[in-house]
Amino acid sequence: MASQKNTSMRRAFSMASMGADIAGSYLGYALQRAFLGETKSRAKLKSTHTRAARRMRDEMQALRGTAMKLGQTLSLQTGVLPDEALAELATLQMRAPGMHPSLVRVQIKKSLGGEPEEIFKQFTPEPFAAASLGQVHHAVTKEGERVAVKVQYPGIRDSITNDVKLFRAVSKPAQASGHLPKGAIDELEKQFLAETDYKREADNIEFFQRELAPLSFVRVPKLLRKYSAGKVLTMSLMRGQHLDDFLAKRPSQKLRNELGTRLFDLFYFQVLSIGTLHADPHWGNYLFDTDARISLVDFGCVKTLSSATITYLHEAFLYSGSIHSADFGRLMETYYRAEGLKLLPVTRRSLIKFADNFYRHVYPSDPIEDYRFDFGNKEFLNNYLSESKNLFRTKGMLADLIFMARAEMGLYQTLHRLKAQVPTSQIVRKYLR
Amino acid sequence: MVTRKKTSKAATSKSRSVSQQTKPNKRALGRRAQNKQTIRNRIVKAALNLFQTKGFDGTTTRAIARKAGIAEGTVFNYFRTKEDIALYFFEQEVGHAVATVRDNPKLRKAPLEEKLFALVESQLEYLAPYERFIGAALLHALKPSSPLGPFSHRAMELRHRYLGFVEELIEESIPRHKQNSLGFLAPEVFWIYYLGTLLYWLYDSSEDKQNTLAFLDRSLTIGVTLLKKDKR
Repeated sequence: MASQKNTSMRRAFSMASMGADIAGSYLGYALQRAFLGETKSRAKLKSTHTRAARRMRDEMQALRGTAMKLGQTLSLQTGVLPDEALAELATLQMRAPGMHPSLVRVQIKKSLGGEPEEIFKQFTPEPFAAASLGQVHHAVTKEGERVAVKVQYPGIRDSITNDVKLFRAVSKPAQASGHLPKGAIDELEKQFLAETDYKREADNIEFFQRELAPLSFVRVPKLLRKYSAGKVLTMSLMRGQHLDDFLAKRPSQKLRNELGTRLFDLFYFQVLSIGTLHADPHWGNYLFDTDARISLVDFGCVKTLSSATITYLHEAFLYSGSIHSADFGRLMETYYRAEGLKLLPVTRRSLIKFADNFYRHVYPSDPIEDYRFDFGNKEFLNNYLSESKNLFRTKGMLADLIFMARAEMGLYQTLHRLKAQVPTSQIVRKYLR
Repeated sequence: MVTRKKTSKAATSKSRSVSQQTKPNKRALGRRAQNKQTIRNRIVKAALNLFQTKGFDGTTTRAIARKAGIAEGTVFNYFRTKEDIALYFFEQEVGHAVATVRDNPKLRKAPLEEKLFALVESQLEYLAPYERFIGAALLHALKPSSPLGPFSHRAMELRHRYLGFVEELIEESIPRHKQNSLGFLAPEVFWIYYLGTLLYWLYDSSEDKQNTLAFLDRSLTIGVTLLKKDKR
C-alpha cells in the first residue's frame, strides 16, 4: 500500500515538474523549489512523504493562489496525494506571506493609474491579511473612509489554466474509473477563473449586500467602485476578528453558541433560500465580533446551486420517513434524472449510508424541544471527516453534492472549533418550503 | 578581489553622476548648457518616436532632424550616428533605474529580491513606450560590429556600470562570506537573466504584461535563494 502511494505521489511530482515553467504554473514552481535543495539529502530521507509534504505546504503558502486551492480541493477528491500531504494541505489558508511592497505598488499603479500614496490619503504597504489570490491592505480614502484594499498577484489567470491542465493529466486514472466526476475539473477551473475576476467579485458583493439584508446579524462590506479596477478591489473595512484571534480571548459558551447558531442560520439561509453560497464556509472567510455579529470578507468564489439540487435538498432535509424506503430512493432518482444522470447502486448506497451515519444525527427529523447538536464532539467530527473523504471518492457523485458536502465540512469544522451547540433542525425547518 | 572592489566603487561614483544627469540642477548649469540639454532631449525624443513608428533601420538622421525641428547639421553636433542616440537613451534608462532604487528610502531595508525587482521593473516601465524599438535594438545588438553590440566600448561601459550597481545591491544584502561559491558570477549571470527578461517581456502577450511581473517576482526569489550559502 505504502509503495503504491509512493508511486502515485512520484507520478504527480514528475508530471508536474515536466510541465513546470516558472511563470506559467504555481504548482510547478512549488515543486521545483521543493526539490531544489532536496537532491543532496535524498538518500538520507526516510520519511519522504511528510517532509516533502511539509515543504510543499511551505512553498504553496509562499505562492498561495491556485496551487494551494487546487491542492486542497482536488487532492481531497482524487486521492492523488497520500494522507500525510493532505493533512499538511488542510492547514493552509489565511497564512500566506505577502507580495513585497514594490510589487503591490506596481499592481496599484497599473490598475488605478497612480502611486498608492497619491490615490489614497493613507496606504499601509504591509498587508494585514492574505486573500487566496492576493493580499489585503489597510488604507484611508481621500474622503476619509477606512477601507480594505485587495490586490491580486500578477498572472494568476494563466497559471490557473496551466495548473488545471497539469491536474487534468495527473488525474486521468481517477477520471477513467469514474471516481472523479466528469466535469468536476471543468467546474473547479471555472470557479477559480471566476475568482480572478474582480469585476465579478464586485458584483457579488453588491448581490449579497442586497440578498442578506433579512439577516440583521450579518455584515457585508460596501464596495467602493471608484477605487476598484483591474487587479485592485476596495471595500469598506469590516469589524471583527478571525476565528483564532477570537477564540484566543476565551469567549463564553453562550457567545459561542450564539455565533454558532447564527453561522448555521446564515449557511442554510444561503443554501435553501437564495441557492447561492458566498464562499467556502472555511473560517477564514468570516470575521467574528463580540456582539455576536458576523462579517463576510471574501466574495471571490460564489457558488450557485442548480435548481434541481435545491429542490432535492428541500425534500431530503428532515425527511420524515425512513431513508431506506422506496419513496426516498425515488427522490434521489428524480434528482439524478433532472441532472441528466443515472443513479448508480453504489452511489445510492454510499449516500444513504452517509445520511444514516451523520445527517440523521445532526438534523433529527423529529427533535425533542430545545434540541441542540453539540459540534464540540471530537469523535463525531473525526468520523465525519474521514467518511466525507470516502463519499467524495465514490463513483457517480454529482458535483453539486460534492460541493455541498465540502461546504458542510467547512461549516462543521468551524462550528467544532467554536465548540458550539446549535438548534440545527429548528433552523433548517425555518427555511424548508 | 581588490580590483573587484575598485570597479564597484567606480561604478558607484558613475551611477551617482548618472542620477544627477537625469535631474539636472538648473541653477548650476549655465543658460547655454541648458539650451544644449533641451535640444539634445528634443533630438532623442524625435528619434525614439521615429524608431518606434518607422523602425530603427528605416529612420534617417534627416528625418530625425525634421521631426525635431532643427537642421540636420545640428544633429551631428550632438550625436554622430543614430546608434549614438540609442545608446544615449539606454544610458538614461539605466541612470533612471539606478536612481529609482537608490532614491527610494523604502527600499533601503528591503530584501535583495525586492531591490532587484524594483530595478528591473523601473527599467521596463521606462522602456515600455518604445517596445517596438527595443525589440529592434536587441536584434541590432547581436551584430558584432554594431555600436549597440556587446563589443562596442560604450556599450561595454554601460553594462559595466549597470552590473556594478547590481553587485553593490547584492553585497549590501548578502555579504560575500554568506554567498556560495558561485556568488562571484552573480552579476554576469544577472546580465544574461536581464536579457532573458527583456525578451520575455517583449513577447509577453498577457494583459498589461502581468506575466512578466510574475516571472520577475518568482525567478528572483529562486535566484536569490540559489545565491545564498546552504545552511545545512
